Amino acid sequence: MMARCSLLFLLMQLFISAAIEQTPVANLKVTFVNTVNKVPLVLDSVAYTNCWDETYTISKLKYYISNVQLQMADKKISKENESYHLINEEDTATKSFSFSMPAGKYSSFSFLIGVDSLKNVSGAQTDALDPLNGMFWTWNNGYIMFKLEGNSPQSTVVNNKVEYHIGGFAGVNNSLRRVTINFDAPLILLKKENTEIFIQADIGKLWNARHNLKIIETPVFMTPGTMSAAIADNYAACFELIKIVQQ
Amino acid sequence: MLLVVMIGTAFMRPPTHKLTYLKLVMPKGWPVPPTNIFANNPLTEEGFQIGRKLFYDARLSKDSNFSCASCHQQFAAFSTFDHDFSHGFNNSFTTRNAPGLFNIAWQKELHWDGGINHIEVQPLSPLTATNEMAETLENVLKKLKGDTSYVRLFKIAFADATINSQHLLKALAQFTGSIQSYNTKYDKVKRGEDSFTVSEKLGYTVFLTNCNSCHKEPLFTDNSFRNNGIGANDKLKDKGRMAITGNPADSLKFKVPSLRNVTLTGPYMHDGRMYSLNKVIEHYRTGINSSQPTLDTLLRKKIVMTNQQKADLLSFLMALKDATMISDPRFKQPD
Repeated sequence: MMARCSLLFLLMQLFISAAIEQTPVANLKVTFVNTVNKVPLVLDSVAYTNCWDETYTISKLKYYISNVQLQMADKKISKENESYHLINEEDTATKSFSFSMPAGKYSSFSFLIGVDSLKNVSGAQTDALDPLNGMFWTWNNGYIMFKLEGNSPQSTVVNNKVEYHIGGFAGVNNSLRRVTINFDAPLILLKKENTEIFIQADIGKLWNARHNLKIIETPVFMTPGTMSAAIADNYAACFELIKIVQQ
Repeated sequence: MLLVVMIGTAFMRPPTHKLTYLKLVMPKGWPVPPTNIFANNPLTEEGFQIGRKLFYDARLSKDSNFSCASCHQQFAAFSTFDHDFSHGFNNSFTTRNAPGLFNIAWQKELHWDGGINHIEVQPLSPLTATNEMAETLENVLKKLKGDTSYVRLFKIAFADATINSQHLLKALAQFTGSIQSYNTKYDKVKRGEDSFTVSEKLGYTVFLTNCNSCHKEPLFTDNSFRNNGIGANDKLKDKGRMAITGNPADSLKFKVPSLRNVTLTGPYMHDGRMYSLNKVIEHYRTGINSSQPTLDTLLRKKIVMTNQQKADLLSFLMALKDATMISDPRFKQPD
């Protein structure tokens, strides 16, 4: 009986590994390029001007990208496993991540800006979701989905600070936004081939993409609310595909 | 072929210490907890003991003066005995009364305003608050990594042997989540092991008529947020639940606290403004200001209670003291 069980177990293992082998996989790398008006962002030292003629510098830009997925032409969706990434402008290594996808013909690529609601209520997490990353609210639990800090002479708060800590994962002011990029021509991922998708986040659009955001009116916003939802609409519109490189 | 199976098995199960798994007590007749707080944090004796050591370790604070137990004292059912506010770093005060810690597995949200959505992430708040332990998570981890006793304990309790924020928080949750109150005189009467005095029995009736809608037995709270009509604290201007939801309808609403161990957890209310149970009952009898727009609907109707009924109610509330829990050696400061 024992021998038969072991044999069955072994056969199952062989079957499973064979099944895995049969699905050809392609390598995919996603790189985020943070820009202001399409020019790569420089922290601290470069002063930018927004559409309201307000000048500002950026000292910190961090945001979560999660639940990355690709959709095939036949609507079948392939998801990245454990898909949680914290993009931090200060740290180049965080701005790219790689994973494998089944080879095939894909029509769109999408991701969530922020951390899905389930992970916001599931207790202590690690890696990208570690509270050590300074992206977790300790008094009103939940992740900060997007954090931009800087300075502006138009800011009316102490030290002319500009701070947007945007979060909230439920209700009317939910800040979660999914960005979907539809490919002009189907993206074909071939077995063992490397593909890199470059996504631009253009902070220049943060100030008026969907709603008006003026530093003089709202220099700081760091709680879930109507304004944070509006800012989330704006930054969601900052993301766009710039190029795809295949080799 | 056998070799392949053996290698496969060895690969799947890395050698680990044999852990002793524990279970929460689910008292008969209690509701099912809203979530399983140990779903992603298997409760073990080894994890519990790390949590216990951490709970009593003052090095978790910036100046090594405050442990979790400084404000959550076992003899006070893990509240701060006889303090409206607890003391924190640099002679500061907290801004709310420290609640008792027990039966957390039956609470969906923690803190007076419900801002904490999971037991594991609760410690981040007192650890980092400048008027509490005032430390950073980075420093706490540095201190633990430099302590060989913690290194040894984490190695045993957690499969990947590392000291990180996740394991720190999970260990603390194993200790605090294990503190249970189910051995009060009330519980013993319900189990047929004891009987109420005449006054306690009459008090129980008064309780069921006037208090049980919010302080629902057997947990003695329904875990809801309500405005009980005490009015805003002029200095603190604490809006309670509204700070979390942003909804003006939640203004001045605070979590209904459990009445288990209520004789030990005073002073009362979110800001500890009432020093005696007598004052609390008097508030519900005569002190409610019904002009407040968010006042709980259940309190809009006047509570009528004779002096005798009030005395009986106090007798009943005393029967909610859990002597077993407050003297349980498993929850004491480790040697």
